[in-house]
Amino acid sequence: MSFASMNRRNFLGATALAGAATVAGPHRARADDTVKIGFLAPLTGDVAAWGLPGLYGCEIWAEQKNAMGGVEIGGATYNVEIVSYDNEYLPDKARTGAQKLIAEDGVSFIEMLGGDTMPAVTPIANRAEMLVSTLLPSDLSPDTPFLVAPAEVHPIYNLTGVWWMAENMPDAKTAVICAQDDAIGRPSVATYLAAFEAHGVEVKDTIFFDISTTDFAPVMTAMLAHKPDILCLDTAYAEFVNELCKQAFVQGYGGQIVSCTADFYADIIANTSEEFMDGVIFQFPDFDDPALNDPRINFDDPNGFFQTYNERYPGQWGAVSWEYASILDLWLDGARKAGSIEPAAVLEGMKQGGKGAHAFGEADWWGEELFGIDNALVGDWPVVQIQNGKAVIVEFKNIPEWWSEHGGTMIEHFEEMGEMWYQRA
Amino acid sequence: MSGGGAVTYTVWAVLIALPLLAAWLTLDPGLGGARRRIWWAVLAAAGAAALIAAPRVATFSQQELLVFLAINALVVASYRLLALTGEFSLGHVVMMGVGAYATALFSKRLGVPVPVSMLLAAGVTGLVAFILAFPLFRMKGFYFLIGSFAAGEAIRLTWKRFQDPFGGPKGVSRIPGFPDMEVGPFELLFWEPVTYYYLALAVAAASIWVLWRIERSHIGLVFHAVHWQDQLAGAVGVNTWRARATALVVASAFAGLAGALLAHYLTTVNPNRFDVDEMVYVLIWVIVGGTATIWGPIVGLIALTAINEVVLRDAGVDELRPMFYGAVLILAMLFLPEGLETLPRRVAGWLGRGRPAG
Repeated sequence: MSFASMNRRNFLGATALAGAATVAGPHRARADDTVKIGFLAPLTGDVAAWGLPGLYGCEIWAEQKNAMGGVEIGGATYNVEIVSYDNEYLPDKARTGAQKLIAEDGVSFIEMLGGDTMPAVTPIANRAEMLVSTLLPSDLSPDTPFLVAPAEVHPIYNLTGVWWMAENMPDAKTAVICAQDDAIGRPSVATYLAAFEAHGVEVKDTIFFDISTTDFAPVMTAMLAHKPDILCLDTAYAEFVNELCKQAFVQGYGGQIVSCTADFYADIIANTSEEFMDGVIFQFPDFDDPALNDPRINFDDPNGFFQTYNERYPGQWGAVSWEYASILDLWLDGARKAGSIEPAAVLEGMKQGGKGAHAFGEADWWGEELFGIDNALVGDWPVVQIQNGKAVIVEFKNIPEWWSEHGGTMIEHFEEMGEMWYQRA
Repeated sequence: MSGGGAVTYTVWAVLIALPLLAAWLTLDPGLGGARRRIWWAVLAAAGAAALIAAPRVATFSQQELLVFLAINALVVASYRLLALTGEFSLGHVVMMGVGAYATALFSKRLGVPVPVSMLLAAGVTGLVAFILAFPLFRMKGFYFLIGSFAAGEAIRLTWKRFQDPFGGPKGVSRIPGFPDMEVGPFELLFWEPVTYYYLALAVAAASIWVLWRIERSHIGLVFHAVHWQDQLAGAVGVNTWRARATALVVASAFAGLAGALLAHYLTTVNPNRFDVDEMVYVLIWVIVGGTATIWGPIVGLIALTAINEVVLRDAGVDELRPMFYGAVLILAMLFLPEGLETLPRRVAGWLGRGRPAG
């Protein structure tokens, strides 16, 4: 047994004893103890846009729970404390951060972005039997039994945007994809290729660019040379999407744009025009959207959360602002089912019955075919369109439904891209 | 506060003080031979004791930092060897990556035992550097700098481009760790940071000793001559190309060894870990520390790591660290333009000025 796991267990033992010694109080009673949640993601650097807004969201989530008197788990009431560590999207810093969060801070759960940083953390998490979440399910494999992707099944949900376009824009028959050449961009390309193929859209070209690219004019010129009906920006860093849209605008593109994210889209509109961005399809809603008030949505007061977030961090709302917070909802649900904050028990609670309360409705634990392990929570995902300068959910699409018909196509493209779990070096 | 309080800060202060004192001993011409030897002996004993004791009093996360510190000490010390010839490269971190990828592939794909694989990786890195020396040393100064960046990017993008064998953008994962050993009653588990720290420290210390000996040898003098008077050196029969190429090959081989240490600790390598951002960090450590002695870059590395990873993280300003870090760099360049390694000499000078004359 490692020092790390002994330390965590001692900590958990102490908190469990403290909890057992206390009689559970009424709903707004003072919390007996504190449960710590680790937040191990890039807070600075190129990838910070997929970390920092998520930390803000988690802090608001914790504040709201603590203001209600804490969270009740297994008869004890806990205050929630978010302990963050900036991993700068580097594996060595992620490893150091994981060690600190587990062995020094005694966290019960760690939220990560994943990607490049995950392989360095996995051995530590496995030894400590620490429950870890990722936003990038391509991190999942049979070697990661304590890793879950409970909010975002990137990049699989990208198929919903293509599916919606095929139904609502039947004249769009050709597409060109550009993608950042990394662990985030490539599996996303495989997804878009499969979705376009499944819906009869011809992909004229796929252009990869390095993440050190600063001039996107040549990339866009090469894309527009094919005169595509659809310009697919794949999954790219926020500033890349911004620059690509700017170039498409400058170079006179007038067709359909689809992208995984359109983070800080108000800035993109400011750099182009409201008319140009009208109709752009992406996958991440604003949480003031009325569609999120539907009873099936498993996220407490999404409109209020959005309002608080924007009051506190104006202009900072992005794809991940709600995701890490929604993972905390799932963690809490799992902990309550397990009656414990012990990571292995929470994992069992989360996966109880093979279903989970995903933010966008009940979903299935899935992934064996694609990731070698059923640790991704998949169900409905929204298709979002910019209309009059505002992101609007136009429809929810069911991913398992699409998979049952076209799953084989997706696996083929993942294999071609070398992205299946058994192909990873 | 996450750092572990006064003990932690004391450990870091000692770790910074040791190479500072070593730099002072190297630079101070006022010390006589016998006194200098006594000082060196005392410093060596204190240094060994502090380096061995450090992980025992450090927190868990700082044990991790110590591992990376030992590895990076080898990176900056080897970088300085090339800098002795007057050439600054932007490809040194990529050379580290060459070692990391080579050992990953040797050990994972070919089943070569990890210690052997690490040595082979250092050799492969030296060989790659030797091949690069032919085009690169057609250039000097700024042109060499840009050429080394281009060569490094070409290598890095090759790793990204080829899924087989380099793993593409995701790199290589599940690299075998350094094998556990039983030495008498002790079981050495190298996945544990303390054990791996001692391994990395031993490798780094031995390598730095070799680098130090090279600098003090005839070839070291040739490096200095090539730096300051390359045409004159050439006129008296020194093969300046060979001297520069030797420095590049040796420096790269040790950087490759550092990369191999990193790969078997993290058990993963990917192209982004060796990009120009990382290279900028190495440059900053070297420039802020100073290059007059082998201790300068090590002082820079330890001091800036302590500020960035301990002080600023403990201050709870994670998102603002780049801003504070930048401010520290500006202050260091303004007030210690010859590097932190000159700090003891300056302090001694300030104290001397305060004393009454005569």
